Amino acid sequence: MHKTSIMLRRLLVNVTPFWVHQRGLRTRDMTPGLLVSHWQKVFQDHQIPDAQDSSEILVSHALGAKTFRLIPPALSQRPVSDHQLQRIERMGQQRLQRVPVQYIIEEWDFLDMTLLMRPPVFIPRPETEELVGLVLADGHNLLSSWEPRILEVGCGSGAVSLALLQRLPQRSAPRGTLRVCHLSLRVSSRIENFLNCGFNCSSDIYQVFLFCLFNPSHPPDPPERLRPFGLIDTIVSNPPYIFTSDMSQLDPEIYRYEDHTALDGGPDGMDVIKGILRLAPRLLKQDGDVFLEGDPRHPEMLSQWLTRNPSVQLRLISTVRDFCKKQRFVHLRRS
Amino acid sequence: MVRTPGPCRPPPPMTAPSIFCLVKGRLPWKAWIPGRREMKFLYPWTSVILSQAAEKKNDSFDLEELQETDLEEQFVRGHGPGGQATNKTSNCVVLKHIPSGIVVKCHQTRSLEINRKKARDILQEKIDVFYKGQNSDILKQREELERKKQEKRKKARENLERKKLLKEKQLSEEGN
Repeated sequence: MHKTSIMLRRLLVNVTPFWVHQRGLRTRDMTPGLLVSHWQKVFQDHQIPDAQDSSEILVSHALGAKTFRLIPPALSQRPVSDHQLQRIERMGQQRLQRVPVQYIIEEWDFLDMTLLMRPPVFIPRPETEELVGLVLADGHNLLSSWEPRILEVGCGSGAVSLALLQRLPQRSAPRGTLRVCHLSLRVSSRIENFLNCGFNCSSDIYQVFLFCLFNPSHPPDPPERLRPFGLIDTIVSNPPYIFTSDMSQLDPEIYRYEDHTALDGGPDGMDVIKGILRLAPRLLKQDGDVFLEGDPRHPEMLSQWLTRNPSVQLRLISTVRDFCKKQRFVHLRRS
Repeated sequence: MVRTPGPCRPPPPMTAPSIFCLVKGRLPWKAWIPGRREMKFLYPWTSVILSQAAEKKNDSFDLEELQETDLEEQFVRGHGPGGQATNKTSNCVVLKHIPSGIVVKCHQTRSLEINRKKARDILQEKIDVFYKGQNSDILKQREELERKKQEKRKKARENLERKKLLKEKQLSEEGN
């Protein structure tokens, strides 16, 4: 009796109650389906958002599949191995701490690509997939140019650039693309993404990785440093655009774990947007395009800002709604 | 095999909207290797890419184009500020074709945009079967595939039988 209680206490020292709960389950019989419902219930009890999705994705990831349906039938009927069970347990614990699922499994899909997601890289949102579609549909200069040059400001995981590179005609990729980021910290995850997608690391696209335009802690690189690459056809960006006053209302997944420099756009959410717009006329070709993602309030604010600053020679071509029918994207052109 | 689309018959009266869920268990991931397949983006700025892709479509079917005005799309991600201020993993798309009442649900991939596109592809096929019934090319192709499969199975069985006979014959010869 005494011995058992000591054993139990030993087990309990470093573990949370969920471990105990898990141990109580007959692990031999845990098929993926049962595990999913088990974790779904745990997540629901702890008010974790996306309980079912989280649990399905974590279990499938441990079994080497992308979604629950994609688990091969042979695996889905069998109990999971001890190793897999422990892995699911570890990942579940992380989720209970509100770590975003994408960071737990360290990957996520953007269109048809699977990208590496390690903190602090910004997790691309589905709206940004539409930004790529918009650039390809409305960027006429880009498609007609023989050697198109794109500047992406704040590329995060590199999702937008990669998607564009893959979809532009082969003659242009990858030489014609420039990217600008403002934190060297994120480069490693991104370079791996580029390599995974089959782009050659030795090509000159990487020389411009460390341009620093808007980082407040560094003196900005003068945009003249981009001049040797020639004038640019299209600037595309998903800049930080959340109003500073809204930052505190973000979900813990975002507020605690994602990089605030990729989110916080200043008091009016336009700090980086204004920076891009001031810079754009100097870098763009005549009739070059700017595509930006922003807050639904931004198109209105942006057109007012443009009328107040006539020296910025850009005109608003269109604002486009996202799949939730919110004003999300703006298309500007150098006049 | 190119057919001209016939005039659409009015939909038969339906008592209740039916829900079709995906029963396909596994996806051919190979089809989505980057660069191997033309990407299509969705309404409303997709017309350019859609038309480009339509020409390259290697399907021999001439399915009726879906009208975006006939579609009602819902997302399980729920209502929120969206954009950078939201990070949800649920990428399920529920697509309804209003004239026929057919509902399709798609969460095959982890990308919302791809799910939206796939939902439209599936809906297009369902609508084709719904309106054309037995005349639908898709139904015909499915039957054809099924027939081929059975033929293959039959052949394999015959082969096995033959081998068995041969072996027995050899054994009996050795015995002699």
